[in-house]
Amino acid sequence: MKHTMTRRDLLKLFSAAGLGPVLASRVVADESEHKTKKIPEIQPIPVENLPRYPAFIRDGKVIQPERPLAVFQETDVLVVGGGAAGWAAAVSAARAGAKTMIVERYGCFGGLWTGGIVLVVISTHATENGQMTQVVRGVGGELLDRHAKFDHAIVNRGETKFNPTTDPEATMFLMDEMIRESGAKTLFHCWATDVIMDGGAVRGVVFESKAGRQAILAKVVVDTTGDGDIFAAAGAEHEQRLHAIGLVHRLGNVDRADHAKLKAAGYKSLGAIEPQPSVRWVNLRGPSSNGLDINVLTRLQFEHRRAIWERVQKMSKTPGGEPLFLLQTAPQIGVRTTRLLAGTHQLTYKESREPRKFPDVVAVGGAQNGKHAGWPIPYGVLLPKKLDGLLTAGRSFCMDDKLVEDGRLIGSCLTTGHAAGAAAAVAVKDGCRLRDVSIPKLQKLLREQGAYLG
Amino acid sequence: MTTGENGRHKRLRLAARWLALAAGAALVLPWWTVRVPLASFSPFVALCSALATHAVGLIVLLGVPAFVLALMMPRWFCRFACPVGFMQELLGGLRPHAKTRWLRWPFFGRWFLLLTLGGALVGYPIFLWLDPLAIFSGFFSAWRQPLTIASVCAGLALPVALLFDFLLPKAWCMRVCPLGAMQELMVVSRRLIRPRMRCETGGGGAEPHPHHSMILARRSFLAACIGVTGAVAARKVRGGPPLLRPPGALDEERFTGVCVRCGDCTRVCPTRILKPDLGEHGLAGLLAPVAKFDDGYCKEDCNRCGQVCPSGAIERLPLAEKRRRVIGPAKVDLETCLLANGQDCTACIRACPYEALKVLSDGFDTRPELILARCTGCGACETACPVRPHRAIRVVPKPGVLPA
Repeated sequence: MKHTMTRRDLLKLFSAAGLGPVLASRVVADESEHKTKKIPEIQPIPVENLPRYPAFIRDGKVIQPERPLAVFQETDVLVVGGGAAGWAAAVSAARAGAKTMIVERYGCFGGLWTGGIVLVVISTHATENGQMTQVVRGVGGELLDRHAKFDHAIVNRGETKFNPTTDPEATMFLMDEMIRESGAKTLFHCWATDVIMDGGAVRGVVFESKAGRQAILAKVVVDTTGDGDIFAAAGAEHEQRLHAIGLVHRLGNVDRADHAKLKAAGYKSLGAIEPQPSVRWVNLRGPSSNGLDINVLTRLQFEHRRAIWERVQKMSKTPGGEPLFLLQTAPQIGVRTTRLLAGTHQLTYKESREPRKFPDVVAVGGAQNGKHAGWPIPYGVLLPKKLDGLLTAGRSFCMDDKLVEDGRLIGSCLTTGHAAGAAAAVAVKDGCRLRDVSIPKLQKLLREQGAYLG
Repeated sequence: MTTGENGRHKRLRLAARWLALAAGAALVLPWWTVRVPLASFSPFVALCSALATHAVGLIVLLGVPAFVLALMMPRWFCRFACPVGFMQELLGGLRPHAKTRWLRWPFFGRWFLLLTLGGALVGYPIFLWLDPLAIFSGFFSAWRQPLTIASVCAGLALPVALLFDFLLPKAWCMRVCPLGAMQELMVVSRRLIRPRMRCETGGGGAEPHPHHSMILARRSFLAACIGVTGAVAARKVRGGPPLLRPPGALDEERFTGVCVRCGDCTRVCPTRILKPDLGEHGLAGLLAPVAKFDDGYCKEDCNRCGQVCPSGAIERLPLAEKRRRVIGPAKVDLETCLLANGQDCTACIRACPYEALKVLSDGFDTRPELILARCTGCGACETACPVRPHRAIRVVPKPGVLPA
């Protein structure tokens, strides 16, 4: 068949040729814009063109077909979970020069600190050598410091003060800023669901998003999901715990309410102070439950929201409580503890309450009232017993039941996250396994980045 | 003093006294912990505490040899063993020509002794703390404590005794010390039983005249009666607010009487929660140990205070039994408790070694709840509580025993 160019073909060609440069110029413009704003570039993914591999039923079982995954990105350090720990890990690793990426399931950093409206950073200080000392330093300390530049962003911070409370909007904004400055790449609205294994080592994760199921390859993965989703998927030894699951809410117009009258009516506390005038955040403990059970989470989300609504309604009908209104229930439900890694060292409550030193100390935990001694945290609590290529940090590090109450707090998340990020960066730079990381090098890097190691 | 003492005998006695001082010091020196209480070697402490506690424990038996010896040799303890007397004598050597103006003084020591014995009969040996070994031991025990007014006061008895004797040489031993008086009285009583024996009172005591023994017996009886009355009165009068005492302490009424203030319990306490009472709660309890949970708590694996108490003021309990002894139940102040005010603090609950605390939550109302049947009042919760200046959980003195 003789090929002749029709007029229609010609038109197609011309329009394509005309459109091409236009599109190309857009891309260039975007890139230059990104560079000036230091927004990390993100490769475009042709979502529509992804091959589809729907599950099917065979012999009464739902089968997921084997299929190749698009590799979204290759990176040195991949941090999964953008809570306090993950955020600190990403900033630290990126600042240390490692190519870093952080994946977060919601649209903001801070996890339960911001999304969960748990606004108080408890245990920022401890009494070391007879003196009250800030132990949450490094990237976490810098973040707290930067709040001070804004009005209504932080309270209870300064010379003799400890356990500051922050405004979640300020915290989210500052976390965004610091991540961008560090050069770490961010993926919001992406939920890591599986690991990519290479022998006994984790080589990346599989994540779900609006753009489908894709992979990220990494030399080192930091599991800061809080629930240990990644190390569990990789088959690392771990323990599973129950804990109270609650939901925080915020009350508005608190300053106009008559506290004495409300107290007489049985409302002991109107919640904890915030940097914002007349706003308080109120804790709800909730029943001891399994935070990995989606039915439980769903039920509690319903029950807690209803309980909060009814309570505030009742309060506003109580003499003295009329001006009160429900400002917000937290976007994130308050899961306190689920999985705990079985690390190469299990830090115990007893160890934390005795004067003790670890040669591989990478962080120091604080005291709730700043008056008790700090407790050193060794590197071994972040390191799985056998699994390579992965570290954990935040509320899933290796500790006993009693220490969870300290280890899960924001302060410990910030400091252990910082430690994990720095360790990941050192491992990548030296091309060694995480368990072979040179402790002096790691401690040197942490100190250079401002961390407090006792 | 004894005139017939030759040079060799003198040297021997001197050697024995140095040895006794060294042995005494070895038991109480603050750098290590020996679990044998020095004061229990005193027959005065042994007898009075056995009477007061109606019990003869192993510790009381330590006083028996000294008791038997005192029956055979007048004032042997003063002459060979007493570390306080020896120190006083060494100091006295600095003033060889001091006058003995006290010779006409009455025998206070005998009164102290009889009052104490009488008191011991009803459980309150009033002057037991005047025992020289208790005074000696109290001085060294105080060293173990951090330097505070209380520790200085607790260690003051020995310097006071030494100063007293420096100003009035030998007056302490001869006129004040109840242990000295006890030895004299024992010799006298032996003479009552076997009147033909030659009188050989050891010191400068007045020689008894023919009817002396009858008068003495009458006076002794009178003194003992006053002791009984005094002790009953003291038990009634003291009262005041109850205090946190070591686990296994006698009931508050008798404790301050039986306690010799030797400070051994404060010395062996590994967490140093036992501190001498500075009279904040009345004179009767002055310098007796009170428990303070500021920096530590009563460890669940420790029963040392009872092991070293020479007088039985703190019962000598096996560990399992001690773990059931209640210092007092813990009490939560819900006004200041962090958990009750919406903060996730569980410091007290985690610190409790007996699992006597748990979280009680009704949604928005959350607080720590005490399981009374498990709480020993060890103070671990109080120590751990982060609330300042007044902790939100505190142990309230109310001793008792937990169900098995």
